[in-house]
Amino acid sequence: MRRKVILLSVVAVASLAAIASFAQVQGGNVRAADVTFLGQPVTAEQIVRGKEIYAENCASCHGAKLEGQPDWKRRLENGRMPAPPHDESGHTWHHSDQDLFAITKLGVGGVVPGYESDMLAFGDILSDEEIAAVLAFIKSTWPERQRDVQARITASDGDGS
Amino acid sequence: MKDTSMTTTPRHSTRLSRRTFLGAMATGAGLIGLPFSLRAAPGATDSAIAFDSDELILADGTLSRSDGDGGWIRLSGPAAGGIRSLATHPGRPGRIAAGLAGGGVTLSEDGGHGWEARSQGLPDAPVTAVTVAAAEPDTIYAAIRGDGLWKSENAGRSWALAMDRPWLADAERDLTALASVDLATGMGGIWIYAGTELGLTRVPDCFCRWQDVQPGDAMDALASGKPAPSEAPLPEGETINALVSASSLPTRLYAALPSGIWMSEDAGVVWSQKSNARALAVAVHATNADHVVAITRDGLIESRDGGANWTALVRA
Repeated sequence: MRRKVILLSVVAVASLAAIASFAQVQGGNVRAADVTFLGQPVTAEQIVRGKEIYAENCASCHGAKLEGQPDWKRRLENGRMPAPPHDESGHTWHHSDQDLFAITKLGVGGVVPGYESDMLAFGDILSDEEIAAVLAFIKSTWPERQRDVQARITASDGDGS
Repeated sequence: MKDTSMTTTPRHSTRLSRRTFLGAMATGAGLIGLPFSLRAAPGATDSAIAFDSDELILADGTLSRSDGDGGWIRLSGPAAGGIRSLATHPGRPGRIAAGLAGGGVTLSEDGGHGWEARSQGLPDAPVTAVTVAAAEPDTIYAAIRGDGLWKSENAGRSWALAMDRPWLADAERDLTALASVDLATGMGGIWIYAGTELGLTRVPDCFCRWQDVQPGDAMDALASGKPAPSEAPLPEGETINALVSASSLPTRLYAALPSGIWMSEDAGVVWSQKSNARALAVAVHATNADHVVAITRDGLIESRDGGANWTALVRA
């Protein structure tokens, strides 16, 4: 009996340790340990915080499920493009961490001079840490292939991982 | 969608109303007053040319193929009619994609002798340009008049919208030419360059946004503190009738314009005029970037030194 209790305790502790080390992030599809931003590991807390900030500031255009605006490949009446998805069906994962941060902070026009977009420059609304958290959350939702491709793009862009 | 620019006169009517007459006069006077490049409808030239290995495929009312011995073989051509654009890939010799003025894409796998429609899923509208992805020979792009840029990843068996048309000078503009340019975008892919009635634009093959051609990769604009490099764009406001990138030297571009044939050595930042013959279509050899052939108003011309010298190509 005593041997059985010890064995169960060991299994329980091991399970808890595994859960702790591979924290499955609420809302994300991957372990926090698999996500980096600008070469630094991302914590589960950052991703949870990023999800909250995304819901407050980004979801109204990019969609609660990161699905983007309807018919997002078709231009709006004002000539601008709708908000694209941030999930794997969009093109967000084709941009490096550096560029995603710059686009979020400065707006698209801050990265591509003269480009007109409905995307706000969030530099006056969110702190750098909050922008990083949002991007960490978005990255945590991508499948492995998209994360791998985006990691290579980030690495080749200079200061990334 | 059908082209609505053509009108027909009812056979039973031989009289012109005053309104019709005045309207026609005003239209004619307006057309005379416009520069020719503005009168030309986007992608309006039914002339196209492409290299298939060392041979040429030529569409200029009829379809023909050079025979490697100074002669030409007349081909029957696709049943669907007028060819507005041709595209090949050195990795698929014998395969020719054709964009049709009457709508749709057709494909030949035997050097132009037999053709098969590959339009499943495409809008019913003129295809103004086609190109094959430089790094993926089964990926074909087609520009659809009044619609946008479409992509097929299985040699035309199915199509999906890739991107709406570019927004230039406060309006969407049809694409008149396409070229897959095997240069890194910095976004994990390569560029698709496009001609419009107003000039050159390009989009990364992740299709995030149409943008002007700038030195370096798409995100070099971030380094705005650096002095701007010299630029010499194509003539402003001219329709680009055709555009090609040399497979063996992707930074080398040729463009066919009403003002002539233009060449860029740096992927479209600095252009120089290589001929003043009104150019309708242009092709460059896959392994010899200096070997270029163009359809002009004066006939078929060829250069083997990057456009420095041209000779007429006789079609027997």
